[in-house]
Amino acid sequence: MKILVAIKRVVDYNVNIHVRSDNSGVELNNVKMSMNPFDEIAVEEAIRLREAGKAEEVIVVSVGTSACREQIRTALALGADRGILVETDAELQPLAIAKLLVAIVKQEAPMLVITGKQAIDGDNSQTGQMLAALAGMSQATFASELLLGDDTATVTREVDGGLETITVKLPAVVTTDLRLNEPRYASLPNIMKAKKKPIDTCSPEDLGVDVTPGLKILKVTEPPERQAGIILETVEELVDKLQNEAKVI
Amino acid sequence: MTASRSPQDSSRRQLATALASIVGEDNILTESEDLQTWGQDWTRFYSPDPLGIVFPRSVEQVAQLVQYAKNNRLPLVPSGGRTGLSGGAVAMRQELVVSFDKLNKIKSFNETDQTVVVEAGVVTARLQEFAREKSLYYPVDFASSGSSQIGGNIATNAGGIKVLRYGLTRDQVVGLKVVIGTGDILELNRGLIKNATGYDLRHLFIGSEGTLGFIMEATIKLTVPPPPLAVALLAVPDMAHTINLLTTFRRRVTLSAFEFFSDAALTHVVEQSSLSPPFAKRADFYVLLEFERRSEQDMTGAESAFESCAESGWVTDGLLSHTEQQRRDFWQYRERISESIAPFTPYKHDVSVVPSAIPDFLASVDALVAKEYPDFQKIWFGHIGDGNLHLNILKPDTWSVADFRQECERVNDKMLKLVQSYKGSISAEHGIGLLKKSGLHYTRTASEIALMKSLKQVFDPEGVMNPGKLV
Repeated sequence: MKILVAIKRVVDYNVNIHVRSDNSGVELNNVKMSMNPFDEIAVEEAIRLREAGKAEEVIVVSVGTSACREQIRTALALGADRGILVETDAELQPLAIAKLLVAIVKQEAPMLVITGKQAIDGDNSQTGQMLAALAGMSQATFASELLLGDDTATVTREVDGGLETITVKLPAVVTTDLRLNEPRYASLPNIMKAKKKPIDTCSPEDLGVDVTPGLKILKVTEPPERQAGIILETVEELVDKLQNEAKVI
Repeated sequence: MTASRSPQDSSRRQLATALASIVGEDNILTESEDLQTWGQDWTRFYSPDPLGIVFPRSVEQVAQLVQYAKNNRLPLVPSGGRTGLSGGAVAMRQELVVSFDKLNKIKSFNETDQTVVVEAGVVTARLQEFAREKSLYYPVDFASSGSSQIGGNIATNAGGIKVLRYGLTRDQVVGLKVVIGTGDILELNRGLIKNATGYDLRHLFIGSEGTLGFIMEATIKLTVPPPPLAVALLAVPDMAHTINLLTTFRRRVTLSAFEFFSDAALTHVVEQSSLSPPFAKRADFYVLLEFERRSEQDMTGAESAFESCAESGWVTDGLLSHTEQQRRDFWQYRERISESIAPFTPYKHDVSVVPSAIPDFLASVDALVAKEYPDFQKIWFGHIGDGNLHLNILKPDTWSVADFRQECERVNDKMLKLVQSYKGSISAEHGIGLLKKSGLHYTRTASEIALMKSLKQVFDPEGVMNPGKLV
């Protein structure tokens, strides 16, 4: 059984985000880029399944500029077997990425696709769901536990009210939540070995997918700055402020 | 009934009046709780007993205080963030403590020169934050930067974790305003980059521990912020190889830190924290190195350095950070050592040699402590890239603190002789103060110490500036 893992290159989780002065987007120059943290969890889960003998091959795919090779290499160092880069400099939106992944799914015919529940740059949480719909696969999102049967996957999902366990037929798309596992570190001996693992490159044109954005970004702005709090002397003052200023009681 | 007043009382009242006329009554403390607080630093071997604490608010007030002290032979102890580890800011003999807590303004910033003028009492972390706000960087950083003050940093030439890349506090100071023991105010170097006009007195005050004069203001040179950084954590079977790792990596990447620690240190960190061991198979030693990651080439450089070290058998395993979170996680293994061994009342050695002497030096220290401390646990760590070793000896449960300290001090003498034989320093970054004064001659020759004393005589003829410390 093959597992396909989709990963995205995003601004590092710990970097302070600055909006470009022309409000066209987030400043990416000289900013540390890393693998989307939820995708790290997806890579880890796939490798654990292969180590447990549930899968034979883990293929990692990313869509974007040639710089994405860096994150593919990281996934290979963590233990993935081979990589695919769909290389394009175009602006990519979730639907276009989902269509490209459908094309890769058709080529590779994996029984399981694992990807992060969302990427921390756009926070869209759409790609996995759109991929499942377009490829006619089952979907199990926000997974905190994944058990593979012969032709099913049993997935515990983190939902608002608690945990929900569902069983879906394979092939399926599973998107990962934070508590699914704790990803390992890339060891230097494995980083060296990963250099010999293949990365195939293709373009959206090769896959016959039009990636033209359907949505237009009007502007990106910083969230409003939080006002400083005030310390009140008495309960009466507090009640007065809540009634007359905040108007919440 | 009127209480009879002794002559001592009357001289005390005179003193109180004189001090109040200089700094104002509100800026003097004499309560015993305050005397305890401001009378000492983080060195916990001395009982503070200062006369009082004054909080001057201007250079002129400090100059007047020193004038008064000089005329009345009143010893003064300068006090900053009180985070020293050698007793340099301890007042235990009725000295007057001069605190810089209220001289804490960032006075001016020059964008063209990339310099900032700060008063002595500015906390190190505040200067770091100020630099960040200006899209610049103040690179001196260490565990106590949230409390330590820039004046104290200069008086002790503070080092820390970025020395390998950016140097010591000395390397950031381009100007100093000081009050010397005569009560005169000197302005030294005035921010100049080039100034070939004879003796650079500025550097005499950096690391002088307040014995020549008090640092009042400093002009600090800021630098550009570092690029993204990455960390490699390496498993090293033999500490003799650490220096080979330094040489190999330095050829391929720009290092900003090169630290080492022993498996015993790591074991304590893992036991005292929620961190999991970084490697499945343990090694005797580990090296943590941090490098600038400007492009993918830097990662490739680090990887090829690792490969070549692995081929030589100098490393058995390694990890490389790929995210900022991982970089911070790896640092935890090194940064948490001190706190994780603190419950064992460690006896701390802070010594240095030139980096090239490190392999032989470590082997000699190892042989010495194995022979002298057969029953004590030894925790090795240090800034190996700077030739700095922090060897900590842990107290066994069955030993009393007093017996343990005495036993360590017996061995300490042999340790310092060993440092001397390697032409090293008995205090790499903790200063001399009171704690290490008796060992100064192991690093400084008799003629050097005589010259240091003569210098003190010139700048502080009445011996009122932090007397009894350093020389």
